[in-house]
Amino acid sequence: MKEKDLYVDFKPQQAVYYVEKDDSTYGPIVSGSQISHDYLEDYFFKKKNLEKQLRDQMADNKISPVYYYMTLYEMGIGDLASRVRVSKRKLKKHFLPKYFEKLSIPLLKRYAAIFDIPLASMFQLVIVKQEDQVRIEFDFMKTKNDCLIITKTGIRKNEKSDRF
Amino acid sequence: MKKVIDFEHRMAAHCETGTLTALLNYNGLEITEPLVFGIANGIFFGYLESSNFPFPTFIVRSRPGQIRENISKRLNIKLEKYWFKDPEKGEAKLDELINKGIPAAIQVDFFYMSYMPEWLRVNINVHFINIIGKKDNKYIISDSYHPRISELDKDVMRKARWAGGYMAPKGFLYYPVDVPENVDFKQPVIKGIKRACRNMLSIPVPFIGIKGIYKFADKIKEWPSLVRDTEHLSHEIMKINILLEDQGTGGAGFRFMYATFLQQAAGILQNEKLDDMSKRMMEIGDKWREISYFAAKIGKNRDLGKEKLNELSLLIKERGDEEKEFFKDLRKTV
Repeated sequence: MKEKDLYVDFKPQQAVYYVEKDDSTYGPIVSGSQISHDYLEDYFFKKKNLEKQLRDQMADNKISPVYYYMTLYEMGIGDLASRVRVSKRKLKKHFLPKYFEKLSIPLLKRYAAIFDIPLASMFQLVIVKQEDQVRIEFDFMKTKNDCLIITKTGIRKNEKSDRF
Repeated sequence: MKKVIDFEHRMAAHCETGTLTALLNYNGLEITEPLVFGIANGIFFGYLESSNFPFPTFIVRSRPGQIRENISKRLNIKLEKYWFKDPEKGEAKLDELINKGIPAAIQVDFFYMSYMPEWLRVNINVHFINIIGKKDNKYIISDSYHPRISELDKDVMRKARWAGGYMAPKGFLYYPVDVPENVDFKQPVIKGIKRACRNMLSIPVPFIGIKGIYKFADKIKEWPSLVRDTEHLSHEIMKINILLEDQGTGGAGFRFMYATFLQQAAGILQNEKLDDMSKRMMEIGDKWREISYFAAKIGKNRDLGKEKLNELSLLIKERGDEEKEFFKDLRKTV
């Protein structure tokens, strides 16, 4: 592929690609990602829809938070089971609210650690209204108590989105 | 602790070849990323269905760690390697190396690399980065995927190094201890090419090498039966583009990098035929990239009917046919 055909101007996601240079030699260039440049909005659109679908299913008591986060984070059952140190059979049970309710705090903490969320997020979802998303910020503060996170919320000083 | 090693940070296409190339360059060996990739027979194909992945997937490079091992063996480079069960011991070793001014590569779960864009961060346990310093509680990182030197909190780094799961890093770190000053690349290049041909043509496993490309072409037609809905199918189809172009491949599923390797190999071996093979591989790469574009387009348009998937399947099969001939001919050139 020729350098001029591959190069994309997209600063948020840069990568190295190998191309044919003007002198016919092959070598690396740094370019933006073509798919992110063209289709990132579509990715976020689908992710938002998936999040809502899963949230509704969770609210209808059809799936547990374990299934919610696993699906959202695109983790395989075998991989997650191994990370949490439970069997795949047990993990599949934890997808159902009736088994999730019986999970111990230490096991829930393991799940929360793997999903990189506060333990409290296994029990509640906080949604910021679309129009306020750029303005509101959250600060999660760990405490010496593993089960307690203090969440500070307020108006962002710099109102620009940090997504890009 | 405050120590930053004078280490030249450079982006590279792939994390494993990038970290290794940078460490070898730091230790005085002039070698390029494509040469590392080719000598280590990094080029590959495999179609995988496993509960470790959320969906069937494919790989376009050899098993993680294989590149490092092959380079060590073929170039006679001694690497010091450690795995740690105990995070404290693993951190102490890394700190000790930093104090001595020795940059080291570590294996991490990519999910925790918070300096990368959020849409890229997924749980993959086989990301490699170079650690080049520490300032208070932050490690200083040279990550081939990031344009600048980065930092990561010690606690986050611990999570990344001791994440469990499939191909868990287990605190793995390595660094070169004996790098020859002058290396004759001729035999290693020949070995790398021969082994790559063998991997692509002769491994008797139905989902590996050329057989893997054909398997992928067949199986993709069944994907609609594996998804939740159209948006899920669109996402998985568009991931073909990401896996081929954006997950540290240098474009076209490592085929562009391999073409570059063959061009460099032609110079090393003074073999004009390899130059022709290099051009052929670049053309094959262009056609893989057409698949990337096609997958992204039909995914975005939700144009995912049977007809389009058959078309995609046919394109993949054609790449299999071409690569079969290519690797047969490549085998004859060395």
